[in-house]
Amino acid sequence: MRPKVVITGMGVVSALGVGAERHVLALRSGKSGIAEVRFLPTKHHEFPVGEAPFHNEEFRRKLNLPEGRRYSRTSLLGIAALREALAQGRLLDRQVLALISGTTVGGMDVTEQFFPKPVPDLDRDIHDCGASTNDIADNCGDFDHVSTVSTACSSAMNALIMGKLLIENGERDIVVAGGAEALSLFHLNGFKSLMILDTQCCRPFDKMRAGLNLGEGAAYLVLESEASAKARGAGIIGVVSGVGNACDAHHQTASSENGEGAYLAMSQALLDAGLSSSDIDYVNAHGTGTPNNDASESAALRRVFGEHLPPVSSTKSYTGHTTSASGSIEAVFCLMALQNGFIPVQPEFENPDEQCVTPVSGSNAVSADLRHVMCNAFGFGGNDSSIILSRYE
Amino acid sequence: MELTEELKTKMIEALNLEEMTPADIDDNAPLFGDEGLGLDSIDVLELIVLLERNYGIKIADPKQGKEIFASVRTMADYVAANRTK
Amino acid sequence: MNTMVKHTVKLTPNYLEVNGKRVAETVAGESFLTKLYRLYNMEYPKFFKMDVLCKVGFVASEVLLGTEGGERFVPRSDRAVLLFNRHSSLHADSTFQHTIANPDEFYPSPSVFVYTLPNIVTGEIAIRNKYQGESSFILLPEKSEEAMDQAVARAFMDRETTSVLTGWVEAVSETEYEVEMELRMKNDE
Repeated sequence: MRPKVVITGMGVVSALGVGAERHVLALRSGKSGIAEVRFLPTKHHEFPVGEAPFHNEEFRRKLNLPEGRRYSRTSLLGIAALREALAQGRLLDRQVLALISGTTVGGMDVTEQFFPKPVPDLDRDIHDCGASTNDIADNCGDFDHVSTVSTACSSAMNALIMGKLLIENGERDIVVAGGAEALSLFHLNGFKSLMILDTQCCRPFDKMRAGLNLGEGAAYLVLESEASAKARGAGIIGVVSGVGNACDAHHQTASSENGEGAYLAMSQALLDAGLSSSDIDYVNAHGTGTPNNDASESAALRRVFGEHLPPVSSTKSYTGHTTSASGSIEAVFCLMALQNGFIPVQPEFENPDEQCVTPVSGSNAVSADLRHVMCNAFGFGGNDSSIILSRYE
Repeated sequence: MELTEELKTKMIEALNLEEMTPADIDDNAPLFGDEGLGLDSIDVLELIVLLERNYGIKIADPKQGKEIFASVRTMADYVAANRTK
Repeated sequence: MNTMVKHTVKLTPNYLEVNGKRVAETVAGESFLTKLYRLYNMEYPKFFKMDVLCKVGFVASEVLLGTEGGERFVPRSDRAVLLFNRHSSLHADSTFQHTIANPDEFYPSPSVFVYTLPNIVTGEIAIRNKYQGESSFILLPEKSEEAMDQAVARAFMDRETTSVLTGWVEAVSETEYEVEMELRMKNDE
């Protein structure tokens, strides 16, 4: 019998603010955090972004981190989210924890301050993805296992999946998993070169959708075996019921027309959870706002759910696409929806598209009694993942 | 050099069509899809950069690329009509 | 989980080994990867568009899967692709950064940007072979058999997975790379 994997803590930072409370407020009242760029030193002000609310120095001060060294923005966002998750999980004093974190940008923002000049030795140690995860871990607690997953925009979700498997495998009782990703000139220009950035607020599944807005943030979940959570009297806020990871095997960046990878990932998650598609009460879609993703994901959703499509929305219209961190940030939104009984709506949605599913729209969140919700995260490379989170009962 | 030949040379370089020479590319053959060179969506974006860099042509909507890059001939016609350098 | 290694491939700038036997060596002045591409008749023009991380992963996987034999290029989701390294996509990152470093010569290259993700190499292998099972790219602070074994063991926990193409795929430049790739099978097969 596989141990049940429950969630006993969560922490989140995004354009909606720092901490869970602000996020619940914003999601309930339909307030998007997407705006003109303020902190990233780019000239491309034509592309709205979802930036976390403080500049680096302010983050450093609020987090009481020592002066005199550089921090990558990915680390700062990650530290804020991880500390919140550990505090809620009552693990701040606990030793020998495991951390699995997804990122792709890592410390690129530090490196690009110097480029093309070489990065000073001291700062080079915080450039790469693994180093940025270590930096986050070192500033939050005592971790004896740290690993980094890098599967583009499904990185953080794959970290959650790895965490669940570690616990089911009996290797760990508790795993903290999620992801962190800051905006960088590197990937803003990269996405611009792919011509998939919208100059307006992104409009996932809308007929007029014209691309995504980049965002940044971090989120971590404390995953724990039910037995461990009960034994130490931890508060249980949800269950990771099922996970699925599949490869679209179609193209490096484009998703297949019939959404094969997405279909396989969602189907596997249902199978893993022992649920049927009609048990799902809400889907937090990957829904980036690009013409290709939304059509492909819609095709996959229709294949999985047939006539009985549950309410679907993409919360990227609030945070922008937080790339590698999106899987855990949106998993946190799903937990908030489960706990507080609401479905986040897409405030900007206007024009249904026959190629796409029609998301829940409006100005305020819709009240709903939710038991099982599905959350999708798909990445370049065809790395498609899906998880099902459930109310603990 | 004729514009079509120039474009072929630049294309081979920009798209890393390592095993091709300009002589292998027919002026009128489709560049995309299974019959022609089999270029994909990333190649379209790279061709857009090629036109901007070499001929000062800015293309804002990648959907336009489908017509412009139908063949080397259509691309040459477009460049001749719109080039600023 | 009881598993066994079926075939191994080791690729360095100097030589290629299959199942522990040296099968090709480099000659000064040639591109070893292109030589292997032609030697093994890979016939996949996309190879020339790949960054060096994808090229080394692709070449090693082609040799490995050719050694395995049997029918290829048929869609299947019982095989996972799980690769590791230390330096992610560092070479492509630096190539891309050069395309945005000079404000007067500012042409970000979409085809280079695509390769600034390390998991594109797992994607390329999956696309080539139509593998639709799990695929992941994991960064480790250093090469650790223990950490890789653990990750492979987890991949086998997925009831669908019966084999894993896995290994260390590191490439920091055209002349500095190291691949150790293997096919691991569930033992009851």
